[in-house]
Amino acid sequence: MISAADLRTLSDTIMARLPGATTAAAVDALEAEALGPDAPVTAARRSLRDAPDAVRRELGQAVNEVTGRISVAARERRLALAAAERDTRLDEEWLDMSLPGRAPARGKAHLVSTVWDEVVDIFVALGYTVAAGPEVETAYYNFDALNTPPTHPSRLESDTLYVAHGDDPEGVLLRTHTSPVQARYMETHRPPVYMVVPGRVYRRDAIDATHTPVFHQLEGLAVDDAITFGDLKGTLEHFARTFFGSRRRVRFLPHFFPFTEPSAELHVDCFACEGSGCRVCRESGWIELLGCGMVDPNVFVAVGYDPAVVSGFAFGVGIDRLAMIRYGVPELRMFFDPDLRILRQFR
Amino acid sequence: MIASLRWLEEFVDLPTRESGVIAAAFNSLGFEVEGVSVVAAQFGGVIVARVTAIRPHPAADRVRLVTIDLGSSSLEVVCGAWNFGVGATVAYATVGSRLTGGIEVGERDIRGVRSPGMICSERELGIGDEAGGILLLEDGLAPGTDFGTLVALPDAVFDIAITPNRPDAMSIHGLARELGAFFGSEVRPIDVAEPAASGATSAEVRIDDPAGCPRFTAREISGVTVAPSPLWMRMRLRTAGVRPVNNVVDVTNYVMLETGQPLHAFDLDRVPAETIVVRRARAGESLTTLDGVTRTLDPADLVIASPEAALGLAGIMGGGDSEVSAGTTRVLLEVAHFEPTGVLLSGKRHGLRTEAVARFERGVDPGLPPIASVRATALIARLAGGAAVGPLVDAHPAPRQAAVVQLPVREVERLLGVRLFAPEIGALLRRLGFDVAGEDPLQVTIPTYRPDVTRPADLVEEVARLHGLDNLPTTLPHGPGGGLPDWERRRRAVHATLVGAGYSEILSFDFVAPEQLARLGLPAGDRRLDPLLVRNPLNDAQAALRTTLLPGLLDGLRINVTRNLGDVALFEVGSVFLAAPGEPIPAQPHHLGFAAIGAVPGPSWQPRPSRDALDATGLIETLTAATGTPLRVEQAAQPGFHPGRSARVLLGDAVIGVIGEIHPDVAAAWDLPGRVVAGELSLAAWEDAAPAGFVVPSLLPPVVFDLAFDIAATLPVAHLVDSIRQAGGPYLENLSLFDVFQGPPLEAGRKSAAVRLTFRHPERTMVDEEMIPIRAAIVAHVGAAVGGILRGG
Repeated sequence: MISAADLRTLSDTIMARLPGATTAAAVDALEAEALGPDAPVTAARRSLRDAPDAVRRELGQAVNEVTGRISVAARERRLALAAAERDTRLDEEWLDMSLPGRAPARGKAHLVSTVWDEVVDIFVALGYTVAAGPEVETAYYNFDALNTPPTHPSRLESDTLYVAHGDDPEGVLLRTHTSPVQARYMETHRPPVYMVVPGRVYRRDAIDATHTPVFHQLEGLAVDDAITFGDLKGTLEHFARTFFGSRRRVRFLPHFFPFTEPSAELHVDCFACEGSGCRVCRESGWIELLGCGMVDPNVFVAVGYDPAVVSGFAFGVGIDRLAMIRYGVPELRMFFDPDLRILRQFR
Repeated sequence: MIASLRWLEEFVDLPTRESGVIAAAFNSLGFEVEGVSVVAAQFGGVIVARVTAIRPHPAADRVRLVTIDLGSSSLEVVCGAWNFGVGATVAYATVGSRLTGGIEVGERDIRGVRSPGMICSERELGIGDEAGGILLLEDGLAPGTDFGTLVALPDAVFDIAITPNRPDAMSIHGLARELGAFFGSEVRPIDVAEPAASGATSAEVRIDDPAGCPRFTAREISGVTVAPSPLWMRMRLRTAGVRPVNNVVDVTNYVMLETGQPLHAFDLDRVPAETIVVRRARAGESLTTLDGVTRTLDPADLVIASPEAALGLAGIMGGGDSEVSAGTTRVLLEVAHFEPTGVLLSGKRHGLRTEAVARFERGVDPGLPPIASVRATALIARLAGGAAVGPLVDAHPAPRQAAVVQLPVREVERLLGVRLFAPEIGALLRRLGFDVAGEDPLQVTIPTYRPDVTRPADLVEEVARLHGLDNLPTTLPHGPGGGLPDWERRRRAVHATLVGAGYSEILSFDFVAPEQLARLGLPAGDRRLDPLLVRNPLNDAQAALRTTLLPGLLDGLRINVTRNLGDVALFEVGSVFLAAPGEPIPAQPHHLGFAAIGAVPGPSWQPRPSRDALDATGLIETLTAATGTPLRVEQAAQPGFHPGRSARVLLGDAVIGVIGEIHPDVAAAWDLPGRVVAGELSLAAWEDAAPAGFVVPSLLPPVVFDLAFDIAATLPVAHLVDSIRQAGGPYLENLSLFDVFQGPPLEAGRKSAAVRLTFRHPERTMVDEEMIPIRAAIVAHVGAAVGGILRGG
């Protein structure tokens, strides 16, 4: 018969040995030495039923006391061991966080595309829509519909690239501006027309710092029943300030284009030097930004609008040029270089 | 056009001589000033001297000892120039004088001879580039005269861009007229006092082509002495960028610059007959022009001719045979009006862009020839002696009437947005030389020097220029809105997807050389091998238009690989061009192209596998997810691609592109090592899938189980997946492939594909027992449809 004192002695022994158990299994085995099915504490619990009252009370108290003490201690020991094991694992898992990471793949949009979208968005916010047209275009839309005389030098083979298609050797060409889309759009839409046309245009130019045979232009057109040169001024001033910053001043100088009358050139004061003269503006304080004007009456007639009833303005701006000016890209041809060291600079 | 302030001031009194203010006036009038320079030179101590004797230097062959008369004294200097003799009038810098550039002139010892001061060249005086000899002054200048009084300096010089619609502004007088209008100053006319003439000229004029030459004037001047022009004339011409030749030729250039009317002087004694004919060139006719080039003429070229032979290209350049030269005494002065287009085309044909062409092609004032002729005759008489013989011969078969344009007053407000009344509009137009009558509409008579003004809108532009564009109101209209069109939103989505997938955008030219296409490994007959040709390409690399974006992308990879830039992934969105016989223009669909080489993305210090065809298929999955366009990949060997690693891309039943690994032979042709992943899709047919409506996800528990099938190694797993879906019933929510392998324990030629199937009923919990018939149906259908055997079943 196990006495209460024996149980307490056993308990003290187990408790003393517990710190020596360094694995969960060793803790389990130690716990079982006292509390297992055939272990003394379990046997003592079984003997309680037949024990005399005097003994039962004391023994029962000891059984509960020892059971509680050992199981609590064993649980704590197991938790401590688990924590130590976790700490060891964490130590082992130390990672050099200065190593290059697992970055999600990310390419770069071309600077010309970025500026393209940005300019389009400025006009979309003013209620304009976006139109597109063919790059290989007829001479009719590229020249005739835009009031370009049959003998205009821009039609010469030295300036314009002609495409072998159809019978007329000078009937089909690579469009020299995005303006033909004006005519195509007006032929199929009634006023009011508020639209922009971003796109590729082509000239028969040898490649150098400021010329490439392909470049990008954005054409704008607003035709309504009371569009004035004042509207042209306000719209393009808004564009220049949105694109180059709200402090910018603009000036309009009279100019000449076959498809607009009156015509003008828009200059913006230099954002790099605030107009005092620097390399960006070639010391003039002003940057030539785009050509614009009131739509020539002959253009309206060609598309079936009555120039006595509607009026409108049009403008054309070089997208590449905007990108070069704002980002300080020194040469136009760099936009056509696939070198990743160039592409990666773009955002 | 180069205009000097002093020359302008001969015709208009300006309220300022401040070059910045004048440049701003030009800009505001629409004449962009591209440069302003100030010509100044220092002549303190330089005087006129006459050479009275010359003798050799005792110890030097290359210099001479020159005695000069200075008016009140004379002295001897050493001079190294040989372009003069006794009697020449020269510019002499006295000892102590300071020349341009800070040079102080002293007394030097040259091989044992004292030489006080120096006889100067143009360059030493800072008035020209000529340094080969000394400056020769006109005879008759009094020795001792202060040289500074002979040259009108300093002067401001404006370099002005003249737009092609303004022939009148290609002249000093025309620019003076514009400044006068701007500042409100009176403009003086060109002096047209008819010169004294004697006798009768034998010169006759016949215009055979009045359309090409509406007016031709001729004037005989006899008794001229050809010699260098006086200094003031030479300096004017030099400042304007024209090389001085001799007094007769210089006058024709001077009057052209002043009036805008080109002139030509013939040596009348070298013209084979005295009848001048204006006609089209004969086939095969040739002419040696003043520049010494013998040109074969085109029957469309207009020529000035004697009855026998062409003497000059009308409005472009004279002929060498009848050129005015040192011995010329009789001059025939031609001042004519030629039609602009003919001159422009003829000039282009012969590659000649002379000052005359630059004016005639814009349309010179047909009223100018007599004015310019009188002006030039008077100047020749003054500079070269001689006198007019008989009256001016003026052939002008059909003088043009001055045009009148009706300008409704409200047109100004309608186009400019500013309200101006008839008197203000009239006043502005009158300042520019227009005659204005009536009230509304205004009757505006257009001066003959403004052929560009023919319509009310043109007059509105004149009003705007003079009123000042800066003074117009600024208003901001809004369009009806509507946002980006679908195709533009989709282009942006495609673009953003590629960038987000690690591809960088390139822009390449739309041109291709046919041999580049030949390297793509395409079979004969492929449309892409038959590009549209550029009729007038600048070079062979731009001979044709691209039919595919792949050459540009492969070039892009190669350039980066060559420059050691490692893993490269590029894309481009742009048009390709395909023949469309019978259509007004060729087909030009928008394509998306991509190409990549190197390892898949990942930490650079860890081993990373090479990209392969799965990068292409994965990109298509991403595009579908990102744009909503349901693209499908269907394995099929594609020309130019790896036969076992390429596929078609379909949208519905239409093939819209190809993807895969580039064929190793093609990659080698582009010097690309290893696997090259690429693809090209037409964006034309894309459209957003209709929104399916919002689906609330079920929170009921699913039933999930796995199946593995033993199938033929060559069977596309997609076919197995399709057959499982077909038999899976309505509650098969998800199917994911989680294992594919070949090898033991499978037989050769077989592979295992394992899928995890998720079933869920939208309204109730499904139980395992329900799966028994579904599972059986799947196994049976897979067996029948693709020959798959359930593994472990």
